[in-house]
Amino acid sequence: METHSRSLTPNSQSTLQGKPNGENSDLLQLLVDTATDYSIIMLDPEGHVLSWNPTAERLKGWKAEEIIGQHVSRFYVPEDIQQGKTESDLKIAVHDGRFEDDVWRVRKDGTRFWASVSITALRDSDGKIRGFGKVTRDLTDRRLAEEKLRKQNQEILEMVAVPVVQLWDGIVLVPLIGTLDSQRTQQLMDRLLNRVMETSSPVAILDITGVPTIDTQTAQHLIEAISAVRLLGSEVVVTGVRPVIAQTLVHLGIDLTNVTTRSSLAAGLRMALDILDLSVVPKAAGT
Amino acid sequence: MSDNTISVIRVRDTLMVTVPSDPDDSTVSDLQDRVLQAMERHDAKGVVLDISSVETLDSFFAQTVSETARMVTLMGGRTIIVGMRPAVAVTATQIGVTLGDIETALTVERALDLTAAKPALKRVPRKSP
Amino acid sequence: MSGNAEGEVSIRTEADIVAARRAVREVVVALGFGITDVTRIVTASSELARNVFKYGGGGVMRWRRVESNGRRGVELQFIDHGPGISDVGLALQQGYSTAKGLGLGLPAAKRLMDELDIHSVIGEGTTVTSKKWCAS
Repeated sequence: METHSRSLTPNSQSTLQGKPNGENSDLLQLLVDTATDYSIIMLDPEGHVLSWNPTAERLKGWKAEEIIGQHVSRFYVPEDIQQGKTESDLKIAVHDGRFEDDVWRVRKDGTRFWASVSITALRDSDGKIRGFGKVTRDLTDRRLAEEKLRKQNQEILEMVAVPVVQLWDGIVLVPLIGTLDSQRTQQLMDRLLNRVMETSSPVAILDITGVPTIDTQTAQHLIEAISAVRLLGSEVVVTGVRPVIAQTLVHLGIDLTNVTTRSSLAAGLRMALDILDLSVVPKAAGT
Repeated sequence: MSDNTISVIRVRDTLMVTVPSDPDDSTVSDLQDRVLQAMERHDAKGVVLDISSVETLDSFFAQTVSETARMVTLMGGRTIIVGMRPAVAVTATQIGVTLGDIETALTVERALDLTAAKPALKRVPRKSP
Repeated sequence: MSGNAEGEVSIRTEADIVAARRAVREVVVALGFGITDVTRIVTASSELARNVFKYGGGGVMRWRRVESNGRRGVELQFIDHGPGISDVGLALQQGYSTAKGLGLGLPAAKRLMDELDIHSVIGEGTTVTSKKWCAS
């Protein structure tokens, strides 16, 4: 096989050299046809689709005959079109030789996918723009993996932020540390309620020893969480109400008449055992 | 279970009412009539409302059930709700649903124990404090 | 339906309130909202759809996917050509209702959604537009 000098380098002003016929272009065609990870298409200088490859059809949904002649903006998401990206991307390719970005793209059926896109300006030997080469790679898998990792990290953080402990059969304990903002309250309610339901625990102890200050918002959030647990059918005991907190709650006028509270976790546990009709009995002497 | 039927069954002295996942407004309104009539017919001590299938609990549902519970109380009975889903409980709390005359229980068994007013079994486990 | 970006449900009969709930549930589940938010949004839709049926003389619910600053969300619009609301501020107050009036639907919906706007003209009708954003 003879080697012909021909270059299609992406990092510079590319020129099409060599003749369109011959082994050279057969190989090139083979590359385009069989590159299964890359959608490789050609655009005319105005951005209309000139050529299509099998991966492009697989990735974007259109068949060649449906899409050739259409404008590249068909693949862009509405927000990007509104921002004029279809024009600016091509302009950047013309100016810099290449445009590259990770972006959302749209399929024929309207669904989106995350893609790595590379647009290369193609010039003839006079330097005139003959068109663009557009290579698109589907990043959905990578994005899904990143999403999964992020979610796992978040779950771990949530477990640390709102620990829910099965203290005993039928008693769930939440040792709260820090303040309760709106988001944390959400996490608290989701985790606590689900645990109560899964374990059918009749009592939930909310220990606020580790909550340094309590403002009206935090108190409201706490009351919301307690109401929700009650709706499921369990009772709630709030423990760790220290003098400072007790004073604040009364001064703020927070209504806690429906809430059972105790100053210490130990007292709360005694209450919980009482609700369950359990008692702690010392071992008989000699055993 | 049919999408829209509320079943009312007598279990000893209690009415077991099971609510489907997404009842329409007339079905919910019907609940009140059916419960009160059954209360009278069977001289029931209470109503256990199983809402474990219910996916949406809006103010109409809450209001109807709340009214029904007040009526049941006037007829000398108790109303106990069982099985509220966590997401529903969070939403109900947010829109300000209050229990009023309604009690709650984690399971149907516990609810039936409550209405039968059975004394709970005393368990004395052995362990060090 | 979940592939569409918008849709409409007509609210003419009482059964349409359920239809509206179901349509909204399908849309927001497809959008990736968690179960608690799904419940909130569906509950809010139930309240607003009922208002359209009971007090608006029937109307329509329109939904569409929205996006802003990289966040996905849903917009729900409830439109009727009924008598209109004379005092929107009053109607939004917790627990407000006239005899056979607006009941608790509007305040509930406002608490459950992220944004809720009411445009009402006496004698012409009411449009309630609400949005909820996906917590990423």
